[in-house]
Amino acid sequence: MDRSLGVPKAEFLDSVRRSLDRKPAAPDPAYPRLLDGVSSLQEEAQRIRARINENRPALLDRFAEVAEVRGWNVHRTSDPENAMAHIQSLADSLGVKNAVRSDQEVFGQILVDAPLESTGINVTTVSHGPDRSREFLRSSIIAADIGLTGADYAVAETGSVIVMPRKGMSRLVSVVPPVHLALVRPEDLVESLDDLFLLRRLEYHEKGGEMGSYLNFITGPSRTADIEQTLVVGVHGPKEVHLVLLG
Amino acid sequence: MADIKTKDFSKASAVSILDPQLRRALRQVGTGFDAARRAAIDEVSPEIWDEWREEARRIKVHSLDHLDYYLDLLEQNVTKAGGHVHFAKDAAQANDIMGELVRTRNIKVATKSKSMVSEELSLNPALEAQGVDVYETDLGEYIIQLAEETPFHLVAPALHKTKEQVAQLFTDKLGIPYNDDINALAAAARLALREKFILADLGISGANFLVAETGTLVIITNEGNGRLSTSAPRIHVGITGMEKVIPSLQDLAVFLRLLPRSATGQGITSYVSMVTGPRRADDEDGPEEFHLIIVDNGRSKMLADPDLREALYCIRCGACLNICPVYQKVGGHAYGWVYPGPIGAIVTPSLVGLKEAQDLPQASSLCGACREVCPVNINIPRMLLHLRQKSAESPDPSERSAGLVPNLLAGSYTRVMRSPALLSASHKLGRWKQNVWAAMPFFPFSKKGGMIRKASLPLLSRWTRMRDLPELPKDTFRDIWKKELSKDKEGH
Repeated sequence: MDRSLGVPKAEFLDSVRRSLDRKPAAPDPAYPRLLDGVSSLQEEAQRIRARINENRPALLDRFAEVAEVRGWNVHRTSDPENAMAHIQSLADSLGVKNAVRSDQEVFGQILVDAPLESTGINVTTVSHGPDRSREFLRSSIIAADIGLTGADYAVAETGSVIVMPRKGMSRLVSVVPPVHLALVRPEDLVESLDDLFLLRRLEYHEKGGEMGSYLNFITGPSRTADIEQTLVVGVHGPKEVHLVLLG
Repeated sequence: MADIKTKDFSKASAVSILDPQLRRALRQVGTGFDAARRAAIDEVSPEIWDEWREEARRIKVHSLDHLDYYLDLLEQNVTKAGGHVHFAKDAAQANDIMGELVRTRNIKVATKSKSMVSEELSLNPALEAQGVDVYETDLGEYIIQLAEETPFHLVAPALHKTKEQVAQLFTDKLGIPYNDDINALAAAARLALREKFILADLGISGANFLVAETGTLVIITNEGNGRLSTSAPRIHVGITGMEKVIPSLQDLAVFLRLLPRSATGQGITSYVSMVTGPRRADDEDGPEEFHLIIVDNGRSKMLADPDLREALYCIRCGACLNICPVYQKVGGHAYGWVYPGPIGAIVTPSLVGLKEAQDLPQASSLCGACREVCPVNINIPRMLLHLRQKSAESPDPSERSAGLVPNLLAGSYTRVMRSPALLSASHKLGRWKQNVWAAMPFFPFSKKGGMIRKASLPLLSRWTRMRDLPELPKDTFRDIWKKELSKDKEGH
């Protein structure tokens, strides 16, 4: 169904214009944050990346610190062996039987499948294809005790891990299982929300206006204070969130 | 549209003021939410906070001043991403659109993340009438849905419930053993709703922001129900007011800084989810269809009124409720509709009409605390005064708050205050009356510390029922002035 329900757009916008006493026209002067084209966004992105490169060690410290405050259990290591050992001992202490993970680049560096499977854990990689339906993957996620993902970005300002679900990256892996573990590489890091949104804008315009269907900030465990303003962690999302920072 | 009980404001507040449990719950909004907000601002520094507020306000002013343009851009970009945009002029039409969507797609079960607009529209009953089982999934909303109540607070809808009441409610409605441990209650809700998320064919969400540049819907949540509602079902429908649109993706940064800190004191919420169209062909999961319903329902009237347009900048953080001396006394339900507190006292009369809600703008001491805490610097007291003036000057008596007698009294007061001779004469008369009454055997006043606490006299008794009246002093200011002036002259 492609047809719009309700009032036709033209009629709705006309009524808004009448309220504003305005003629159909673009804002004049144009809005600065919509004015910049791909080349000026590229220049700005270069400046951002240079700044991050220069300050990376300090930014990684800051990210780790803020993430910890926001409820992540942070483990820092630049040694892949150590990262794998940490994940294995975590899975062991949680009594994990079923794990799901996304199909992202970082799992080419940190090979989690073999060590987890060696302790009898069933690991499912979320990537649908001719032999594996979306329904099968969905039920694997529902049955999982832990979900493992990489990060598309990590924001030092907020301690957030940003995931952008797409091929190989499920929306549900980081929200349905009771425990989420995110692997963050130093190159995923940005300093601020402003950096993140500028880089996203650049990619959007470079791709001719494709945002991807979903972008999610994850900052600590699922929380609520809806009963007597008392904090409870782990309502609908994970109660426990782990972050392995590879640097 | 949601039932309007705004006419009962006075009666309902009188009841809530006497409720000891509400007293306890409401005391917490100052010590809980507002203290957390203040701490969060101190952490970033008040100077930076003010810069953020100004930036956010500039963005809102620009967006609303060019709303038609940005709605158009938004619609184009949502459509480009494969989504569908529907425009609704009022509540009935919004519910019709939703009805048509659930009928044509054979929807049986819907999960819903928190949406104040859906409360405004009374969307749930409309869906139930179509045979759809709708589940609120935000814990607070779930509680009030089970209790068949309306939200008590913009951010914490079940703020007024004790854990014992929630435990009893869960026992009655879910058939589980009574357990008033808060962790256990949250776990029970998780369990009950998890199966609904798996079953649901429709996920409904509101929107905190809509980004015109990219056609993106943004929701800011803590529990994870928003992520599940926008990810698990095969159809996602976002439903929201038309004022939520902002121009650029980069405009989001400042709002992500302001909103969580103002609402709960968090530096950021657990989740911020940004939805742009349905899942793409290659995606592993996500809804096959994405629809966005954009609702006017009276907002264009607010837009057209330069004195009220500012209220559309509101980002629904609830900070003005937490600080308001009136909200802290009467709570959310007394306001009689969907939006409580100082911002509700503006939005409600603007959307449902002064005729229904003429008392709400009166429910303020005009202390200005709401404006001080507002993350977009909305001048709430100014608009409350504007609505009071509109109500007082309305040719339609049903739009006026006060009755004939108070209006006559107010008229006489104005005349007296404008004339020094009349003022002096009425003071003398008042003094004399006060003395005569004080000498009477059945003393009609009860006094304390220079205040008349209770006057059992017609007209005066209505005043002193709710507040004290200062006693008329022996000497007026003018008398004292004259006396002191003559002393001064003698001295020199």
